[in-house]
Amino acid sequence: MQSFNKALLPEHVILSGADCFHLVLDKHAQKHGAGGNVMRKVFYFDKSLSFEKIDTLLKSSPVIYWLCNIHLCEGILFQKPRWEYTDKGNEIIFNQHKAAIENEIPAAILARDITTRSERFIEADLVNYPSGACAFVISWNHILLDAKGTTLLFEHLNQLSENKPQDFDLFFPGPGKKTNIVTYIRNMYKVKYFVQHSARPPVFSVAEKKMKSEEGITAVKVISFNGEETKKINENAFKAGSRFGPTLYLIACCSHVINQLGKQKNKSGDLWIPVPYDGRLKGATGPLISNCVSFLFYRIPQTELNSVAQTVKYLSPQMVSQIKEGIPQRYTMFLNMMRHVPLWLYYFLVSKTGKGVFASFLYTSTGDNFNDLRSLFGEPIRDINMIPALTFPPGLTFVFLKHDDQLSVNIAYSPDTINSNDLTFIEQKLKETVLSNY
Amino acid sequence: MEKQVIIEDIKKYIEKNILAASVKIEADTDLKNAGIDSFSTVEIILFIERKYGVAIPDHKLVPENFKTLQSLAATVQELMS
Repeated sequence: MQSFNKALLPEHVILSGADCFHLVLDKHAQKHGAGGNVMRKVFYFDKSLSFEKIDTLLKSSPVIYWLCNIHLCEGILFQKPRWEYTDKGNEIIFNQHKAAIENEIPAAILARDITTRSERFIEADLVNYPSGACAFVISWNHILLDAKGTTLLFEHLNQLSENKPQDFDLFFPGPGKKTNIVTYIRNMYKVKYFVQHSARPPVFSVAEKKMKSEEGITAVKVISFNGEETKKINENAFKAGSRFGPTLYLIACCSHVINQLGKQKNKSGDLWIPVPYDGRLKGATGPLISNCVSFLFYRIPQTELNSVAQTVKYLSPQMVSQIKEGIPQRYTMFLNMMRHVPLWLYYFLVSKTGKGVFASFLYTSTGDNFNDLRSLFGEPIRDINMIPALTFPPGLTFVFLKHDDQLSVNIAYSPDTINSNDLTFIEQKLKETVLSNY
Repeated sequence: MEKQVIIEDIKKYIEKNILAASVKIEADTDLKNAGIDSFSTVEIILFIERKYGVAIPDHKLVPENFKTLQSLAATVQELMS
């Protein structure tokens, strides 16, 4: 296994605008719920893996070492928050577990929080099942890595296990572009107006209350589609008018299901859904650290929810016009500017603007990021799941993930928002809607 | 307009605005494999509509027409004729 030169690790890394937004979400998670802003990715293998071999590999990664040896400096007034490298010699905590039920992730892993005050911002676990199969679980604080960043992390681990050379410059974000203050201010007003108009009240949300109960947990339900079903979903998307991949179709299907759930509870109104957008240049192999995500914002009135095809048709021009107007890039610039605002004020502004409601529900997709990731540590991967950091409210997130040309949707929810009857309804209706004959 | 000129125009736009500097494309490169996703496809369509003054009708918005620079240029040529 390779050793690395610690002198090549950066002394400090300034948080991106999206990282700072996650810092606000983290503050919100700590204030409102039991679960923090922790993301988890689960890799299932058909056979058991060597704990020692993975342990050695994880400990030889410069990126993982850096993530275990930093602390957050929020900065004084108008200073951008940054990560400072401490080089305390901390190694990643990697634990082994035994689970009695196949594919189940032990509650001890799911309940573990990684806060901004933690010593380490990444942890790993190996879960062994009675059949001899196992799961490798990696957990991290979302402030440091986004979905694409984790794809790059696993590519880095694979390269490390093959003793390939590492390019440190690709791990960390480079110096940001400087924009003049007039452009910043003009852009800030444009974005502020756009988002406020898009999210104007009343917006229907699945959340019935703003506070999570004390015992509130993040629960996950996975719906898996086989290759044939995935093919049919893609064909359905096209038939329903989703011309640029299945995203708009899947958003429309989720919206229909949630709208019907709302009707059962005598709740209705416009739906408002912010959808993440990867801001990296396409084909980029870095940066691994930091969130480079922006958003597209979709609003769907009740009158456009009569059929999935009608909803797709309504969403399509929203997507095109936002890309034409450069909304994701402008929103990134806006978030970058917000880094200068003290955290307490930033949090106050976000809470006040959303009146406690961040969205009707949350939708995210890893696209094709994990589709071709067939092996890890030299072993074939059977399946991949992602357990997102659950923002509460709304307390319901749909994560679409494609692996080996098979789609799955992880429904992450808070029982404070979604009870067991709701979950059964969502599961049945979503399957039925995405696989309908169009 | 020459197909090769259209290919060069679109290639220049994609390499300058959408792709990472390390990614190079040729006329027959599979754009999806190069990293072009659904959002980038919309950006390319908007560029084509702006540059050549053509609107791409719904029935032309099929994956085969967006697979490579060759197929994109052929679509533009057809719309311009």
